[in-house]
Amino acid sequence: MGKPQSDFSLIKDVLDEYGDVEGSLITILQKAQEVYGYLPKDVIYHVAERIGSTPAEVMGVATFYSQFRLTPIGKYLIMSCQGTACHVNGSERVSEAVSEYLGIENGETTEDGLFTLENVACLGCCSLAPVIMINGEAHGNLTPDKAIAVLKDIQAKEGC
Amino acid sequence: MRVVIGEGSCGVAAGAAKVHEALDALLTGNENFEIGSTGCIGMCFLEPIVDLYDGDKLARRLVHVSADNAQAIYDAANTGDLSKVDDITIKPEDEEFLNGQTRIALRHCGLIDPTSLNDYRAADGYEGLQKVLNNMSPEDVIEEIKTSGLAGRGGAGFPTWFKWNAARQSESEEKYLICNADEGDPGAFMDRAVIESDPHNLIEGMLIGAYAIGATEMIVYVRAEYPLAIKHLEEAMKQAREANLLGKNILGTDFSCDMRIKAGAGAFVCGEETALIESLEGKRGMPRLKPPFPAQVGYMNEPSNINNVETFANVAWIMNNGGEKFAAMGTEDSKGTKVFALTGKIRKGGLVEIPMGKTLRDVIFGIGGGIRDDKEFKAVQMGGPSGGCIPKDLLDTVIDYKALGATGAIMGSGGMVVMDESTCMVGMAKFFLDFTASESCGKCVHCRIGTKRMQEILTRIVNGEGKEGDIELLEDLCTAVKDGALCGLGQTAPNPVLTTIRYFRDEYEAHINEKKCPAKECTALLTYRIDADKCRGCTLCAKKCPVSAIDGERKNPHKIDPEKCIRCGQCIATCKFGAIVCE
Amino acid sequence: MEQIKIKIDGKEIVGNKGETILQIAMNNGIEIPNLCYHSELKLYGACGLCVVEAEGIPKLLRACATVASDGMDIHTDTPRVVKARRVAIELIMSDHEGDCKGPCVLNCPAHTDAQDYVKKIAEGDDREAVRIIKEKVPIPASIGRVCPHPCETHCRRALVEEPLSIAYLKAFAADNDLKSDNPYVPEKKEATNKKVAIIGGGPAGLAAAYRLAVGGHDVTVYDMMEEMGGMLRYGIPEYRLPKAVLAQETKAIENLGVTYKNGVKLGKDITLKELRDNNDAVLVAVGAWKGSGVYCPGEDKEGVLSGIDFLREVNQGARPDLGKNVIVVGGGNTAMDACRTAKRCGAENVYVVYRRTREEAPAEDLEITEAIEEGVEFKFLTNPAEILGDGKVEQVKLQIMELGEPDESGRRRPVPVEGKFETIDADTVIAAIGQKCLPDGLDDIELTKKGTVVADEQSALTNLDGVFAAGDATNRGASIAIDAIAEGNRAAEAIELYLAGKPLEFYEPYVSETEKTAEDFADREKLPRAVMAVEDPKQRATNFDSVIKGFTDEQARAEAKRCLECGCHDYHDCKLIRYAQAEPVDPHRLDGKKHECYKEQCLVTIERDQGKCMLCNQCVRTCKERIGEGLLGLVGRGFKTVIKPEFEGTDAIAVCKDCHQCADVCPTGALKILS
Repeated sequence: MGKPQSDFSLIKDVLDEYGDVEGSLITILQKAQEVYGYLPKDVIYHVAERIGSTPAEVMGVATFYSQFRLTPIGKYLIMSCQGTACHVNGSERVSEAVSEYLGIENGETTEDGLFTLENVACLGCCSLAPVIMINGEAHGNLTPDKAIAVLKDIQAKEGC
Repeated sequence: MRVVIGEGSCGVAAGAAKVHEALDALLTGNENFEIGSTGCIGMCFLEPIVDLYDGDKLARRLVHVSADNAQAIYDAANTGDLSKVDDITIKPEDEEFLNGQTRIALRHCGLIDPTSLNDYRAADGYEGLQKVLNNMSPEDVIEEIKTSGLAGRGGAGFPTWFKWNAARQSESEEKYLICNADEGDPGAFMDRAVIESDPHNLIEGMLIGAYAIGATEMIVYVRAEYPLAIKHLEEAMKQAREANLLGKNILGTDFSCDMRIKAGAGAFVCGEETALIESLEGKRGMPRLKPPFPAQVGYMNEPSNINNVETFANVAWIMNNGGEKFAAMGTEDSKGTKVFALTGKIRKGGLVEIPMGKTLRDVIFGIGGGIRDDKEFKAVQMGGPSGGCIPKDLLDTVIDYKALGATGAIMGSGGMVVMDESTCMVGMAKFFLDFTASESCGKCVHCRIGTKRMQEILTRIVNGEGKEGDIELLEDLCTAVKDGALCGLGQTAPNPVLTTIRYFRDEYEAHINEKKCPAKECTALLTYRIDADKCRGCTLCAKKCPVSAIDGERKNPHKIDPEKCIRCGQCIATCKFGAIVCE
Repeated sequence: MEQIKIKIDGKEIVGNKGETILQIAMNNGIEIPNLCYHSELKLYGACGLCVVEAEGIPKLLRACATVASDGMDIHTDTPRVVKARRVAIELIMSDHEGDCKGPCVLNCPAHTDAQDYVKKIAEGDDREAVRIIKEKVPIPASIGRVCPHPCETHCRRALVEEPLSIAYLKAFAADNDLKSDNPYVPEKKEATNKKVAIIGGGPAGLAAAYRLAVGGHDVTVYDMMEEMGGMLRYGIPEYRLPKAVLAQETKAIENLGVTYKNGVKLGKDITLKELRDNNDAVLVAVGAWKGSGVYCPGEDKEGVLSGIDFLREVNQGARPDLGKNVIVVGGGNTAMDACRTAKRCGAENVYVVYRRTREEAPAEDLEITEAIEEGVEFKFLTNPAEILGDGKVEQVKLQIMELGEPDESGRRRPVPVEGKFETIDADTVIAAIGQKCLPDGLDDIELTKKGTVVADEQSALTNLDGVFAAGDATNRGASIAIDAIAEGNRAAEAIELYLAGKPLEFYEPYVSETEKTAEDFADREKLPRAVMAVEDPKQRATNFDSVIKGFTDEQARAEAKRCLECGCHDYHDCKLIRYAQAEPVDPHRLDGKKHECYKEQCLVTIERDQGKCMLCNQCVRTCKERIGEGLLGLVGRGFKTVIKPEFEGTDAIAVCKDCHQCADVCPTGALKILS
């Protein structure tokens, strides 16, 4: 129906290694997400069947932890730090500015598939607060203007 | 000469990796120096940091280094002429940051190469374990920990020996020793620093604990957001296994125990030990009812002992130096040292390890150098979302579990966020409730709905929609949630609200009754206007305003349309004449 | 098994070692509220309702999880426990989306369970319907005919097409019951030997008498008139309420053992003091029997009557000669009764003079229509300015009015159009613009400025010990019969507490309500409201026979089936609402955003109402732990957590055993078994 089925052979090794080890569901889902970029529904069903669980239980785990995504993410994952130090140093205005500039809310992806915005717990770069991390690279001491400049750079690089 | 680059997450985020790359690019193979790497020394405010060693002696500490300084560093190291890096050498007053500390848990951080077992061994590494395995029974170990007075550094401050003993007493074929490295308090990062910068110290401490309780396996539950920590720990485990420090018959004794890492998947509540166990079992991280306690029924229904990283980081030192030496530091109530992550509006932020018994003032104004930008200290938040804020007149509070508890805050895992006059305390309470509400697992009614309602009430107060009776309603809810919530997350969630009401009730009242934010932080309660006497009509603010709320003729005083103004504050930042007033 | 002794609320009980406080309490018949505990499921500990306090332990304990130890001294009702439990309930309710009861029930002053009895009528069980009705209304055949039915005004079926004909359905079931060989008779409680005197046998007095008689008390009703029924007997005309029907119903109350003493007037034939001396409690329900004047010059002329007096005379059998032209002043139900009765007494021209328009008239619109059908002429926007005539009414000068600004009641205020008048011939003027209480023989009872008895809104108690008051004679004054019945019920409840020596504490039990719009019922098939057959207007205006002919059986059953069943199917079994009503709670102080609420069919024959789910997780745990399927699961985290089944299409249907265990364990109405 609509979507093509995911290629389960990509996680065969993972399932062979962890499928029968009790308590490995989170590890399996983490590895599956590394493979697919997110957790497609049919993968969730496949995992449930393989480990002898039910789809409801696997869904329960997949929706509990903020690391797991049920929809694909953009090319650039913007992690906006919500730590205390960032808050005290004005992170709210930075994330509002990013949100407004890209027209997406927390957890959403831009229509062109370029950016996904995620509010995350403390990234631990408190001395650089406020911080956003884009595909693993930290950008610190931000102001709304600086944050948008960073995004504009990426857009320019991508030819937007 | 050795050039050692501080490459903890913080340093990397500040650009340490780029410095490293730039230096590497200059190498020809004929240098008189080598390049090394170390972890985090905890002076976050000076990152990136590069140390120049002459033999074992630290010759120069370079701070705020950038890739542009690579050539100068190269030349200085190569020629030994250190005057070439004078301009980036640490200032004497900043050295005080470290001199004021007593480091046990952090004793190797920033000094050794975290990826080198040899480095660790050279710095007394695994001597404690050796001593334990050779000369001490598990009971001796527990006794030594009891003597040391070591208490859980994750927040609750429960005596470590007691937990170990309970787990030791539980009879079972399988027992687990679990390390809680799910450091979730937004504003605390000492556990990450320890694992990243001194992973063998954690392994050694855990091995001693495993020996004491009779554990068959060790598990480290670490946040997935700490990739470098996971990488370093994995490497250290590999080295330890190869050196017969992990696995079967460790160091040739009967003691066998292996270790594995389990990466968390993002849920603050998993810092609660029963939720952590659920998560380890691959389930939703929802807390279990206690009793039974993990020491009886834990991971896979087997006896389990859980301590946090910093607790384990003290263990090898205690075995090496004796419990009494540890207990000699601190107060009647709290022994040894504690690591704090000092952040916020502080001049010198970073990791601070001090003996218990110092005052908040010692840390904030002594080591931390006071408030940034010469502003006024207002309060310090201790213990993150589970803790509370402590106001100015309690700055001389002694740092121990009891004294901090009496203020309504907690020691917590050691987050210490400093706030100045421009921080709105209601907004602060809201920030923490936003956090706990979004991190509530949803199992129990009090936490799931209670924190949500508290968050809603706080939101309406900061938006100027607070109602008479809201403070009392909050207090009512707080008491009920404290009493009724299932686990520590919910039970402590009201603390930030209760302490801010306790010490800053007038700020709540100003928001509710006068619709004013005394700290001028709550944008919904601010009005911006232009002082006609000061405005020169330069039009800069009008150009900057994102919603075109500012209008006026060139060279004539401008005006702000309050209907259009979104109170973003950009005009204030733009105006060169101080003509824009925010009230 | 080793036994231990513990105390719960001072009571010593014995339990087995290893059992939890909750288990021991349950085994000893002590209820500790709980929503997520199930003896056959693993401990969960989510609801927080079972908290208790134990001596010497600073923290509150969850009774479900705490293993009792010997000598434990446990309290389930300390202020701290009560508060914690109350907040837990308030929190749950603040996040609860559903209607415990439909608007029909909530808007009936007596809270008659219309949804329940309509359902019984739909099922053809009129006797059971009457049993349900009589929990609140002891004279349903009468009330069903005359009630202005606020239930129908608020009926949500109006959002589909037209409201349900609830009042007539009530009369239909009650008529059938009266006609049956085995009419419903309530079971009486054991005699208490307590004596209660009720002054006034109208709807308030009768409702109280019925309830108190059922409660086993010795009740005597004193009434100044020759028959019981009060205004229903002497105010409402025969054509609306045949007196034979009312008599049957008052007789049924008498048959319960209530003593009727008619023709006894307070202050004349008997004193309040005597009644207080000879009874354990007294209820004053004397009604409002004094009519109003016309309040204009000439109102003392011969031929000016009060509407109440006029209706009473006719109901007593008189057929007064009113002359050719009759003017009735007023726009309420009494005015309608008066004008239509005047017509039936032979008046040629009957005019209703009302100072506002038809829209503002308090009378039921149907009655205005029926009056017009019977030939009554309405003169809206007029007001008597003067009654003219030489000693006797000859003409009435009417001031022409117009509507001005709205007044406090929200209705536009009528104002005179200066200098505009109309004069019409009249032989009789009947004033029907209000009625008053006659405070005869009320001794030291405190009265309002209006002259009504001051009675506590909750307990119905007057300023005199043991003397209660209800109905038209109290506080705001005259109102509709069902209001009087509601007050009579409340007074009876208070009297029972008073007789038992219990404190008179009342609070409005909490119910959850929602707002609905036409959109919510867009998928419903439109089914027109049943039309009541009536006598031909020309014919009926000449006699006093009943205007309505009653529903046919077929009509009534079909009409009852139109009910949308707004109230929760689980109301009577719902643990949550039972706890919420067991003490005064105020969830609205915690009003806020609710979790995602929707209904969906799932698991073959179960309908899940997310709005009523409080995440006790019993369904999930039952499916997994007891059935071994795990078809349901928690999804999401924190406030957004919901319970959902997860399966692809038809596969689950094959897996789900349709065992309904999930619905059986649900402590609220979140899971409904579809038949």
